[in-house]
Amino acid sequence: MAIRWPLLVRRTHKWLALVVGVQALLWTLTGLYMVAVHIDIIHGDNLVRTPAVQSFDLSRLSQPSQVVAAAPGTSEVRLQRFLDVPVWRAETPEGPRLFDARTAQPISKPTEAQIAALARRIYTGDGKIVSIRLLTTAPQEMQSRKPPFWQVEFEGWNRPTLYLSPATGELISRRHALWRVFDFAWMLHIMDYDERTDVNNPLLRVVTWSTFAMALMGAWLLIWSFPRRKRKKA
Amino acid sequence: MSKIRLTPLFFRRVHKWIGLILGLQFLLWAVSGSVMALLDKDKVGGHGAGMSHSHPLPAGDYASLAALPRGETVQGVVLRDLGARPVYEVHSAKGVRLVDATTGEDMLVDQDMAREIASMMNDAPIRAVSVMAKPNLEARDFKGPMWRVDFDDAENSSAYVSLDTARFLVMRGDTWRTWDFFWMLHNMDYVNRKSFNHPLIIIVAFGVFWMAGTGFYLLFKSFSRADFRWLRRRRKPVVTRSAT
Repeated sequence: MAIRWPLLVRRTHKWLALVVGVQALLWTLTGLYMVAVHIDIIHGDNLVRTPAVQSFDLSRLSQPSQVVAAAPGTSEVRLQRFLDVPVWRAETPEGPRLFDARTAQPISKPTEAQIAALARRIYTGDGKIVSIRLLTTAPQEMQSRKPPFWQVEFEGWNRPTLYLSPATGELISRRHALWRVFDFAWMLHIMDYDERTDVNNPLLRVVTWSTFAMALMGAWLLIWSFPRRKRKKA
Repeated sequence: MSKIRLTPLFFRRVHKWIGLILGLQFLLWAVSGSVMALLDKDKVGGHGAGMSHSHPLPAGDYASLAALPRGETVQGVVLRDLGARPVYEVHSAKGVRLVDATTGEDMLVDQDMAREIASMMNDAPIRAVSVMAKPNLEARDFKGPMWRVDFDDAENSSAYVSLDTARFLVMRGDTWRTWDFFWMLHNMDYVNRKSFNHPLIIIVAFGVFWMAGTGFYLLFKSFSRADFRWLRRRRKPVVTRSAT
């Protein structure tokens, strides 16, 4: 018996689609979200102010070698500002630490009030701070970043949240509703429902190739889907 | 023209026509997604910084801070190590100047230094070193002039080192290059390979969403009980209602 190609291809298309249909729909839906909302908005670039460039008078500052002597093992010393005070930020084996750049004396960790003031300066919106918490375990949205960190949530429909370092008060991360939706969409897109990072998981590999086969059968079907002659009247 | 009626036939036509127009891109999305899922993400690499080593700075005196400015207004200073020797980065409106922190003299990131820094990230012999005034596609996540150091290894690795700061930027290999080609097919940004938020992809994604949506709906119309008879046959014969 000769193979009836249109029937075979249609059946394959149909059955493969039955298996991968939900995921194919999810791919187009999550893909559409990820392309339609600009990645800069997702990253929350509009939520934070880029710090204004200010100059330093180096002749009034302490030597960074004093910081290296005070914190052995330091791999980098960086001049920056902490609430208008010039500071040396030392990257020590125990994590970052701040030193007053005028005296080279260590600065104690920022208080909750200082964290609030810093967050206010960084945040571009007008909303009030809803909550400030020092987290010791990382929520899902901080992914692989190591706690502890200050979580500062602002008022607003998109629940903008800034994460600041307890050691230096620096901005670590910013999150908001659209980012959280994106992250969820990404999870569905790469089918890693656990860590949301493994783009090589076996489930994804099987379903992607099956979808490719399904799409290929669909493309093949197009040949017979647009008859060149009018159908015979019944 | 007759009124559009939302019958299965209508959805089948929509499915067919979008398939004809945008089906090729769906196919490309499927194949590029499949290949990216196959390529080992550790071999693709290059995502996120923090790849470079850092050594503790040696204790002792460094060149005086006050002597650093050469007439420019200093906007930032970084003291760091560069292959176990301390250096200052002096940031100003003009860019970044690198100063040897022991002698206080200006430093140039020359070819030898680029080789040295790149070799910290890869043990393979170096095949070629070239300088680039602007980043190429492989180093598109970075700015400014840079050195490209090509290694003679299985991956044909290339290391990129900043010409301003002597910092190691990124390592790219053949697995990444393959991945990047399919990523381009996936994000449809054929020139810069970077953006996935351009009008073309939004329009095509919108259309393809309808193809998938109508296809999903048609699943419910395309299967009949007869299609699943083979499933039932395997079960133990149980008393069923007669199929009248």
